[in-house]
Amino acid sequence: MIDMLHNPFFLMALLAGIAASLAGGVVGSYVVTKRIVFMSGSIAHAVLGGMGLALYLRRTLGLLWLKPIYGALLFAILAAIVMGIIHLYYKQREDTAIASLWTSGMALGVIFLSLTPGYNVEVLNFLFGNILWTSSQDISLLLGLDLCILVVLFFFHKKFLAICFDDQQAKIQGAPVHFLYFLLLSLIAITVVLLIQIVGAILVIAILSLPAAIANIFSQKFSRIMILAALLGICFTCIGITFSFAVNWPPGATISLVATLGYFLGLGVKKILNTRKG
Amino acid sequence: MNKKPSVLSISDLFFAFDKLSPLLRNVSLSIAPHELVALIGPNGSGKTTLLKLMMGFLEPLKGSVSLFDAPPKTSHKLLGYVPQINIYDQQFPLSTLDVVLMGALSKLTWYGTYPKHTKEKALYALHQVGLCHVKDRPFGTLSGGQAQRALIARALVDDPQILFLDEPTANIDPETQELILQLLLSLKSSMTIVMVTHHLQTFIEHVDKVFCVQNTVTEFTPQQICAHFSMGVFHSPLIKRPGKS
Repeated sequence: MIDMLHNPFFLMALLAGIAASLAGGVVGSYVVTKRIVFMSGSIAHAVLGGMGLALYLRRTLGLLWLKPIYGALLFAILAAIVMGIIHLYYKQREDTAIASLWTSGMALGVIFLSLTPGYNVEVLNFLFGNILWTSSQDISLLLGLDLCILVVLFFFHKKFLAICFDDQQAKIQGAPVHFLYFLLLSLIAITVVLLIQIVGAILVIAILSLPAAIANIFSQKFSRIMILAALLGICFTCIGITFSFAVNWPPGATISLVATLGYFLGLGVKKILNTRKG
Repeated sequence: MNKKPSVLSISDLFFAFDKLSPLLRNVSLSIAPHELVALIGPNGSGKTTLLKLMMGFLEPLKGSVSLFDAPPKTSHKLLGYVPQINIYDQQFPLSTLDVVLMGALSKLTWYGTYPKHTKEKALYALHQVGLCHVKDRPFGTLSGGQAQRALIARALVDDPQILFLDEPTANIDPETQELILQLLLSLKSSMTIVMVTHHLQTFIEHVDKVFCVQNTVTEFTPQQICAHFSMGVFHSPLIKRPGKS
């Protein structure tokens, strides 16, 4: 354990995990209570198209500044906007829209990658996460995005709550419901990209939704859910990274399993508490 | 004879979700200040749709709606709305006071908090509906009657001049129905009240007008209403003809 604390890879991974889990817990609380977990999953998978495009342009045009995460951010926000347009203006079946965006994003990613010369190890990292390769530049980006998310939430939290609970009432009160909905989806998109750094696109739903879901089992107060979810997310990430480091398992998958275990543990504890209350 | 001024008027309104099957046609009506008005009609007849047209949530395909002499969309600040309680997610983590405060969302400061006097008004609205004791309880754990009264408190917190209610007594026991009736009667002196209801028998003695919605809208005085209608049983002809039993 003490060896681990002297390992710069381990420390950077912990720092990245804490930064991403903070945003994940806070934004995940909206995702869980608004019941848009699978919409977030769709955004996470659509991101692969952006990463594929960024890698393709980087390799074929020599745009070395173009990191896959920039493509991921662009596609995440585009996917969020498309989702918002379908939800607000077309009133189509959302599950079908989610599925189409989910698969088309991945399909674009596969196509761009097949056209990209060379071995694409970055994509594997994005699919399954590789927090142990986090650089100090990545940490700065994570902290910057964290700060953006927290600042926006500080100013808009009550309005977001209002549109999540009853958008018609918010409209009567003169709130710009459509703008707020797009803003919330964009925050979710940015958070998804942050979390992809840790657990990867395939496992991102677990770390976005499970801490908030566990917090919601034990609290009916939104602000408490946010704080508890952020703390749980940080705990799961730290435990997952430490365990994966010790037994040499993939960190993203280990973190997701720890979060899932925590969820079932939470359900069990709640059941016991309810039984005791009678 | 002087015509009463109207707070809400609809003229030759036509509305359809699907143009081939119009839901409402040739609707014209007028509601005067401080009237208590009931919208009745069979299920699927367009009552809630008409209520949403009155509030500007839907736009008529033809005709016009005027609320306080302006399009309803521009008069939102003057209205309070109490929707059906079954549209809400019972697990949404909000306290009763949080829900009531959402009726004053426009009063949020730029840094996202409610001013002190707005919180006091929300507490007063809860006091008006007799729910101060559950202000910190999660909204989802309230009984149907309590939740309905909390939504009325939310609609009152921003001092509306017209209150729209969609089935305020649905799935509520007779005692709570009576409570809601008394509450609405106490509000009548300060605002106009329009409600969709299937329980007209609770309100029939107190309403000023009844609009029966069935593709179009027919206006009745409470005296013209057949006892069957007031119990929610609709049949033709709609009007109880003078001289006939």
